[in-house]
Amino acid sequence: MIVNSIEIMFGGQAGDGSLTTGDLIAGVFKRMGLEVYTYKDFPSRIRGGHTNYVIRAQQRENYGMADMVDCLVAFDLEAVEAHIEEMRPGGFVIFDNTSEQIPDDVRRADINWYEIPLAKIAKDELKAEIVRNTISLGVLGALIGMDPEVMHGEVAALWKRKGDKVVEMNVGAVIAGERYVKEHFAERPSGYSLTKGVDGERLLMMGNDAIAYGALVGGCRFMAGYPITPATDILEWMAKYLPQHGGVAVQAEDELSAINMTLGAAFTGARAMTATSGPGLSLMTEAIGLAGVLEIPVVIVECARAGPSTGMPTKTEQSNLNHIIFGGHGEIPKAVISPGTVEESFYFGALAFNLAEKYQMPIFLLTEQALCQSKATLPLLEFGALEIDRGKLIGHNGHSNGNGHGKVVFGEYKRFAHTDDGVSPRVIPGVEGGMHLAAGSEHNDAGVITENVKNRAKMMEKRMRKLESMREDLPKGNIFGDPSAEVAIIGWGANRGPIVEALDRLAAAGTKTRFLQMRTLWPFPEDEVRDFIKGAKHVFVVENNFTGQLDRLIRVVVGPLEYMHSVRKYNGRAFRPIEIIEPIERALSSTVLART
Amino acid sequence: MTAVLTPKDFATATPSWWCPGCGDYGVLSALKSALADLGKNPKDVAFVSGIGCSGKISGYLHSYAFHGVHGRALPVATAVKLANKELTVIAAGGDGDGYAIGAGHFIHAVRRNPDVTYIVMDNQTYGLTKGQSSPTSQTGYVTGTSPNGHPEAPMNGLVVALAAGATFLARGFSAHPKLLVELLKQAISHKGFSIVEVESPCVTYNKINTYAWFKENTFYLDETYDPTDKVAAFKMLINEGKMPLGIFYREDRATLEDLANKAATPVVKQSLNGDMKRFASIQEQYR
Repeated sequence: MIVNSIEIMFGGQAGDGSLTTGDLIAGVFKRMGLEVYTYKDFPSRIRGGHTNYVIRAQQRENYGMADMVDCLVAFDLEAVEAHIEEMRPGGFVIFDNTSEQIPDDVRRADINWYEIPLAKIAKDELKAEIVRNTISLGVLGALIGMDPEVMHGEVAALWKRKGDKVVEMNVGAVIAGERYVKEHFAERPSGYSLTKGVDGERLLMMGNDAIAYGALVGGCRFMAGYPITPATDILEWMAKYLPQHGGVAVQAEDELSAINMTLGAAFTGARAMTATSGPGLSLMTEAIGLAGVLEIPVVIVECARAGPSTGMPTKTEQSNLNHIIFGGHGEIPKAVISPGTVEESFYFGALAFNLAEKYQMPIFLLTEQALCQSKATLPLLEFGALEIDRGKLIGHNGHSNGNGHGKVVFGEYKRFAHTDDGVSPRVIPGVEGGMHLAAGSEHNDAGVITENVKNRAKMMEKRMRKLESMREDLPKGNIFGDPSAEVAIIGWGANRGPIVEALDRLAAAGTKTRFLQMRTLWPFPEDEVRDFIKGAKHVFVVENNFTGQLDRLIRVVVGPLEYMHSVRKYNGRAFRPIEIIEPIERALSSTVLART
Repeated sequence: MTAVLTPKDFATATPSWWCPGCGDYGVLSALKSALADLGKNPKDVAFVSGIGCSGKISGYLHSYAFHGVHGRALPVATAVKLANKELTVIAAGGDGDGYAIGAGHFIHAVRRNPDVTYIVMDNQTYGLTKGQSSPTSQTGYVTGTSPNGHPEAPMNGLVVALAAGATFLARGFSAHPKLLVELLKQAISHKGFSIVEVESPCVTYNKINTYAWFKENTFYLDETYDPTDKVAAFKMLINEGKMPLGIFYREDRATLEDLANKAATPVVKQSLNGDMKRFASIQEQYR
């Protein structure tokens, strides 16, 4: 019997309700006190096409998928055929056999099969074909010994706003599923059991919601964006909440407009952001250079997906790191921070604005589909810890929130004044005496356009100096595992989850490892990486791209290492722990490093 | 600022890059006069320009000036207004900036109707890159990129704007300063998106649309013209005879900033510090 650890995949045609059903069971598991992670693997279309939604629940920290699927809830045969290979021996399938049957060559003998006419029950017993998915929840709950009361309560809560009739119908559907199991499979236990625990002070939140929420709390009052998967959730969230807090969200006509609007609002003094994905970032690149040279604080959230071009819009990838760091003509200061969990996504959403305003530059918050569109459990958010630091802003009297108060005298004030840290006192329109030209053309400290050779060199140095000034304020990486281990792993973003899990399993099998989850990717934390790998005999860099973009950055800093290995995945899907464990074990077994 | 303002209050110390005789001098001078006449304080004027000869204008107007990337003046200006609706927001650029690379934004700025004034300094050519054809060049215009004569038809930006839902449309001529000042004053005073296309001859590269050509080929709308009649405006703008000047159309419509933000206090004047706990209730829905 496997207790309190399960990975469930709901599979069917897009529009069949796999996502709704999965969200519902995720909420149920959270209420049962389990740690939940969800992973959406859906096609880039609204109706039709195979889609699946993975819900993982366990008692330990949980930020990624398991090696294999324990339970497949298949609403059609295609879902079974597509995923039967991913199933754990001893796992089970709930299959709707109303109109299709499992062919013999698909029917793995090491899997428990629960074939149930879900659609027929919906139609005949409940007189509502739409509740087919909800019946599957009753079936699932009964098979894994869940508390029916918790399940009924969640189902009722989900449909509450649609009225009592809908609630009654769906709870009835769950009960029908439970009854079917009792009547037909009482003698065939699934081998899994989920016991009811205590739901502590916790949340279940999607990464994108956490970023938007963090941004709002962090003082963001303006957002311009253009719908693009997988970033759109952020614009939708902001469109709902910004107006409630005196702010504005705009759906621009394209990303060119979105980024330029963001610059305009930031120039005017609003904390402003945009959110996009690879193709949108391509369009924004010119104006991001402008933000760099105008020293305008903007926050750009990049929710990476599989590229290039349209690529696979709903699939995950970490292939935009080079673009974010090196994209754009000319050279500007910019920083790239990247959260590894939903909780970090919230705090980084807020932090990004302090960094942007303090150092007057574009700040990238880099995440990816496997994190930003995944839901996970997290502790309650701490609001007391957040402070707004507007750096050297000179704002409207009494309203600035800035610490750069003082009278601005026209003629004396210089918007781009040379300072030790490279950051100049910044005024916003409306402030008496601060009038100046903010020009993308090279300019002097007063903002006057000039191509003077000495000025050019001095202005470049002033702007780029900020990259050094800001180092201490940038988020440090998280280090896991045994700091003296000879095997070191480096990664970022959503890969934190599967890597941490791989770490524990490697340790249990006798291989000690250490792991650096990088949270600042630019300016590149050279010392952090160098210190981390000190004494390591093997360094594994784990990333979701083909060319090993982080691996190459690290090589530039630390030089070629004898045992530096790149673990890459680029099929659009997130890592499972075994996909990290196996390459490490393979590399170690082919070298002289002894297993301790 | 209590004293009566003069155009000099809007002058900067920066010497101009424009060629002697350039039409853009007339635009700048008229804009300074209009702002002074309207009693605007330079600290409350945000002036956004694009790229090209015309884009240089932001360096010459004492204000909070923003000289951004090519074709994107309108998204910047729209957001400036959204962030602080107390500012007087003006955008300016050329026919290339507004009708070629920035054409997409032009239509959507019109549609959104922020209280922004947009001055299109139209010289029917690309000046700063040394004379190429533009979206408003006449068919047959010979340039480096159209050595056999420009094979395209010119775009009528004001007709496009009218179709897109413009609430204020005017056209002036940079060599007629008094009338241009009046057009700009009315445009800036209009609550909503106002477009003033100014014919601003390029004395260096455009030997067709010269000062003499405009004097010969333009006329002003007279008192019998009704600028609230949209159909009349279309007819006037698509008329193939001489080029009309004046105010073609005006209407009152809710502005973007008023619809998008109901708060009386401008976005940038909202306090960000304070009790962070006011945001805590949002997390209840994620419990």
